[in-house]
Amino acid sequence: MKRVRSTVAIIATAALLLGGCGGSDGESDSKTFEFWSFANINQKADVDVYTKAHPDVRIKLTEVGSTTETAQALTAALAGGKVPDLVLIQADDLPKFMQSPDNFVDLTTLGADDIKGNYLDWVMAQSTTKDGKIIGVPTDVGGLAVAYRTDLFKAAGLPTDRDEVSKLWPTWDEFINVGKTYVQKTGKPFVDNTPTSVFFQAVNQGSQRYYSADRKLDYDNEQVKAAFDVTLKAFSAGISAKQGSFSSGWTAAMKKGDYAVVCSPSWMLSQMKTNAPETDGKWDIATIPGGSGNWGGSFLAIPKRAKNAKAAWNYISEMQSPKGQLDHFLLQGSLPTTPSVYTDPQLVGKTDPFFSNAPIGKIYTQSVVGIKPFYFGPQDGPIGTEFLNTLTSVEQGKVNPANAWDTALTNVKNAVRE
Amino acid sequence: MLGPAPIPPDVRRPGRNRRIKQGVREFLAPYAYISPFFVLFLIFGLFPLLFTFYISLFDWDPIGEHRFVGLDNFAELLHDPRFWGALRNTFSIWVMSTVPQLLLALGLAHLLNHARLRLAALFRMSVLVPYVTSVAATTIVFAQMFDRDYGMINWFLGLLGFEHIDFTASLWGSHVMIATMIAWRWTGYNTLLYLAALQAVPRELYEAAAADGANGWRQFLHISIPSLRPIIAFTVVTSTIGGLQVFTEPLLANPVGGLTCGAARQCQTVTLYLYEQSFGQFHFGYGAAVGVALFVIVVAFSGINYLLVTRVRSERP
Repeated sequence: MKRVRSTVAIIATAALLLGGCGGSDGESDSKTFEFWSFANINQKADVDVYTKAHPDVRIKLTEVGSTTETAQALTAALAGGKVPDLVLIQADDLPKFMQSPDNFVDLTTLGADDIKGNYLDWVMAQSTTKDGKIIGVPTDVGGLAVAYRTDLFKAAGLPTDRDEVSKLWPTWDEFINVGKTYVQKTGKPFVDNTPTSVFFQAVNQGSQRYYSADRKLDYDNEQVKAAFDVTLKAFSAGISAKQGSFSSGWTAAMKKGDYAVVCSPSWMLSQMKTNAPETDGKWDIATIPGGSGNWGGSFLAIPKRAKNAKAAWNYISEMQSPKGQLDHFLLQGSLPTTPSVYTDPQLVGKTDPFFSNAPIGKIYTQSVVGIKPFYFGPQDGPIGTEFLNTLTSVEQGKVNPANAWDTALTNVKNAVRE
Repeated sequence: MLGPAPIPPDVRRPGRNRRIKQGVREFLAPYAYISPFFVLFLIFGLFPLLFTFYISLFDWDPIGEHRFVGLDNFAELLHDPRFWGALRNTFSIWVMSTVPQLLLALGLAHLLNHARLRLAALFRMSVLVPYVTSVAATTIVFAQMFDRDYGMINWFLGLLGFEHIDFTASLWGSHVMIATMIAWRWTGYNTLLYLAALQAVPRELYEAAAADGANGWRQFLHISIPSLRPIIAFTVVTSTIGGLQVFTEPLLANPVGGLTCGAARQCQTVTLYLYEQSFGQFHFGYGAAVGVALFVIVVAFSGINYLLVTRVRSERP
């Protein structure tokens, strides 16, 4: 019997060990907190700055992975695992979490009411619930601009000065015309692709996207249709290199100069530097056709079950203050969400040698002031994917442009769950 | 001869007890020995299976509410073109990868079994190299090779004067690409299984056949194949189970489409669709329904395949 008992004991221990991971690790002290971020945004720099100023604070920073992987890990944690004290959520993932605000600390209870006026109101609106709870503090926004190759523009007889280039395309129609000229002169495609470079920018420039102002699903509206149509027009003009954004072909073509223009939200600049280092100095940055717009950005949030919410909040309020965001911009290039620093000489004077010393601070902040806020709903992600995929199918010759809108609506209808 | 002395009751009792204990112990011991598998299976196999079925009856937001919807998810599944598309893709990729893979493995195993092969051990080990290579690395390399404008295959086609093929964008192209990745990875593995079985075939059979004038091909057909039937049945069933659950290759093959594997979901498999619904869009209830449907399909097909292969086996001498 003894043998049986010990066997059972071993099995029980094994089961406990295997099933019982993620239990509490005991002590919690108010000077230590855990921070989950996604990779490639270098929150490490901010953490270092903070711990240098507060040597008694210990921050356990985990770079979980991509933005999506971080959101997935957070979901699993909220559903019953060990939660971090502080987490960075990407703007596209935020609406899903906004559906269940009870999972997070309402930051107004910690003093977010006092500082919310520091931030762009339309960004703050994304992390504020209908009844006024604040779930996240915005860390950065994704202003829009166009990166173009000065050497290729010169070869095509187009102006290369960024102000003159900006004047070439106040609207998307004029952008398409410049593209046609370029193709005529060089015989090479103009823009990397139309679904991302045209549709994803244009659809973020309106006053409404896939939801109405009263937070109801409404993706079949005039503004989305207009963005969709101008994308089809750009495709039909024959100016697209048809290289899907972030694919291996896109990177290869960027290196080889097989397209001259990429519509590049502020966060894409660092990717371009990593993907095509040999094109250093050949790029410049002009304003985006169609006026102000934003794509992306991130928020810091505190899960409800966080052990040390206070320490996390101290971190947020210090690092995301206008001064904190300005410092982070100067260090990393993420665009601040605090408009008070948009006229700061340091920000205005910030240039980037990779992009021919373009004043990136000035160009990108200009694109996010005067934005008309729209509501971000929980199904924005899947809806955006279906529109993008349909337009990609058009580029791949699998969908006829004439049927594209109907196809897109059918696909969206399949993807949306009422 | 005296019979056994009567045992006083107070002495007999503990002795009997000990004997009963001994019996119980001997009865339980084998169960204890095999229990690790079954305990682990209960925790990691059966429980998730039952829990998945449970979740599939809900509109289940992992961090929000869990609303009971009965069989609604399954009803929706029947009318979901994306699910049927994924099922079609899965079967197409499975057939395209399994058939050539097993045939190739058979041929390779026969060659590697050849008595006069030099450096046999080296060749036998090298067929396993693709299997020990990380799937992610394999997939990324293949995806670059199949690239429309800058891939090696299209460069070669261009040299021969053919048009470039947009593999990732087209239905068949993307299926061929993914099937190639799968076949490349698993052919060596199946080869070794077949080779192991062939090694058990007495050499005299081949020698006798050779003496009777049978060439390599006839030896392959009439000795190798018949002796491999049980292992062929095994590989067909395991390939079916694996093939219907293909996930990593389509996920990484087409980074533009992300979780949809292409703009038109042209290479999205059922597991990838499951993943998209559950972890991409947090529709865990619906994702679980996809999982249950896939489970039923895999069980049914493994059964059919097994019956077919064993039937073939029993009908032939």
